[in-house]
Amino acid sequence: MSSRDAILRKLRAAQTPFADAPPPDPHLPVVPLDTGNRAALIERFIAQAEALSSAIHRCASPDEAHAAILRVIAPDERVLCWDFAHIPLPGLDAALDRAGIAVAPPGDASARVGITGADAALAATGSLVISSGPGKARQVSLLPLVHIAVVRVDQIVPHMEAWIAALRAAGTDAFAAASSTVIVSGPSRTADIAMELILGMHGPGALHIVLLDSEAQP
Amino acid sequence: MRSEAGRFVTAARQALTDTPLQDAVKRATDTAARKRDLAMFADGRDHGEALRQQAAAARHRALSQLPALLEQAEERLTANGATVLWATDDAEVCRHVQAIAARHNVQRVTKSKSMISEEVGLNDALIAAGIDVLETDLGEFIIQLAEEPPSHIVTPVIHKSKDAIRDLFVEKLGMPPTDDAQTMARFAREHLRAAFLSAEMGISGGNFIIAETGTLCLVTNEGNGRMVTTLPRVHVALVGIEKVVATLEDYALLTQVLPRSATGQALAVYTHMINGPRRPGENDGPEALYVILVDNGRSAIYETEYAEVLGCIRCGACMNACPIYEATGGHAYGWVYPGPIGAVITPLLTDLKEASPLPHASSLCGKCREVCPVDIDLPRMLLDLRRDLVNAGHTPPPWTVGIRAWSAVARSPRAFNAAARAAHIAQHALPQGRKLPLGPLGGWTASRNLPKVAAQPFRAWWAAREKARDRDEQS
Repeated sequence: MSSRDAILRKLRAAQTPFADAPPPDPHLPVVPLDTGNRAALIERFIAQAEALSSAIHRCASPDEAHAAILRVIAPDERVLCWDFAHIPLPGLDAALDRAGIAVAPPGDASARVGITGADAALAATGSLVISSGPGKARQVSLLPLVHIAVVRVDQIVPHMEAWIAALRAAGTDAFAAASSTVIVSGPSRTADIAMELILGMHGPGALHIVLLDSEAQP
Repeated sequence: MRSEAGRFVTAARQALTDTPLQDAVKRATDTAARKRDLAMFADGRDHGEALRQQAAAARHRALSQLPALLEQAEERLTANGATVLWATDDAEVCRHVQAIAARHNVQRVTKSKSMISEEVGLNDALIAAGIDVLETDLGEFIIQLAEEPPSHIVTPVIHKSKDAIRDLFVEKLGMPPTDDAQTMARFAREHLRAAFLSAEMGISGGNFIIAETGTLCLVTNEGNGRMVTTLPRVHVALVGIEKVVATLEDYALLTQVLPRSATGQALAVYTHMINGPRRPGENDGPEALYVILVDNGRSAIYETEYAEVLGCIRCGACMNACPIYEATGGHAYGWVYPGPIGAVITPLLTDLKEASPLPHASSLCGKCREVCPVDIDLPRMLLDLRRDLVNAGHTPPPWTVGIRAWSAVARSPRAFNAAARAAHIAQHALPQGRKLPLGPLGGWTASRNLPKVAAQPFRAWWAAREKARDRDEQS
């Protein structure tokens, strides 16, 4: 008998533990929030992200966002970057070009800055949901010491539960189609040395979130 | 990993004389326990308690459907492009990983933290096969350098001071001496970055598998978990068969409760969901993903009254809350899992007799259950294991003789009275205070004060009191 069958047979032969376990009911969200109050959700997202040592750059126009991004990149002349189609900021490619900043080829491990978009932002925890796919390499948010993520204000959802509910509504196939989805909550960190908090262990040591007001969309 | 749980008493006694160890462990566990409380009760104690009960129900539900969920997970993982393998024991896990390494021509492996890999002794097996293995979680990297086992499941070097880590880096890696933790961490970052980029295979554990979507879930803070599952050509995940959960919703709950309970974070820095290897059109991610579902003693627990312990999500909160763990540190427990959870699962996953001291390594204060995010009744199981030890005859002879004698005396009122009077008289002949030289009982009395026996046995006092009351009522 294969190990698989041996294990499953043994589990099936046992008296089922917790046979009276309650059926799934809608969970209480781990962070209870007033999900209808957009302004409060935006404020909460900003406060939580900053509490995790992320830097928030709230921008009313694409021009403001370009300027914020260029300030973070300076003085570098090369960045890792997702395909611009996946970054919700019009004119970014031209803005980088004008500033003389080249996009490094995928797999370039030496770039100091990486620029991505995000699938969603979670107000409860100040987190970004980032999935991989063609033109959305995982390394861009992982290898560089500095990660810039561009998010529109209307991408902010209340919490992980709301994000899951939206996935469920859209059908989980879209979720399963992305080989990797990571919820990023701040720069990478460790407390393994005598419980001292250190940012930038293996992943980025700085996370800049460029938060673009939705009206700025063309 | 071979269990040395049988040495608990000796190892604990040693640890009790190691002040730097005790200082480091106390500082770390106090901090973690305080952060845990703040995070779990961020929206009030009632809400935090409700979350615990909800999380427990999610785990119970998963365990009640375990075989069906495992089959569903296997089917969905396979549909997502992963290869699912099953392993009944440690040797089979190692054989699988060695075979995968050989198939993909792997020379160098980077690992993120996996307690199962410690269980099955994977590093030694890979090294024996001529493969370089590097731990990349900073804590695991440090203990690999120090050639020690981890002493905590979340913070493996909880027992080491900053100075000890500095000395290790200076000695083994030639780091320029520094007192700055940030500089040490940056040094380790540079050192490990080269390894991440050159390894052909990454090995991770798995915090959860979502059955309905076939998703492998990891929770990490440093980014090394993402590195080892992104950069090498091959990713192998070792996951206990109990780690499967039914739905995305149950996962969303548990993956938030876990870091709250472990480190006081609302979410880990990287809450990672993997739905298979690199897809067409992607230019990074592993070309092959293997998920090894590991039994290694778990299905045997599933059949017993200890099945509840399979609900554990390995947050380590019970360690941070335990007065015994705080006093002894993790190494004394002699196997992979220390603290209250270790005192329960080490006897169940290894050998009851070898691990016989562990169920007694508890004051039964109940704090471990109180802080458990899935409400596992660890104190109940510690007591039941003590019973199992007695039934199996795994008790030291003086203990057995003592309990038999007590039982005989306690069952006879006359004998009990006589013994109480005798004890009252005999106590004057014994030295007062600690460290009584009581031969075979020395293990019990060395660290306890002998209670003073009352001048008059309770029954005599009661009889006299009743007599006096009768007299008063009559007068």
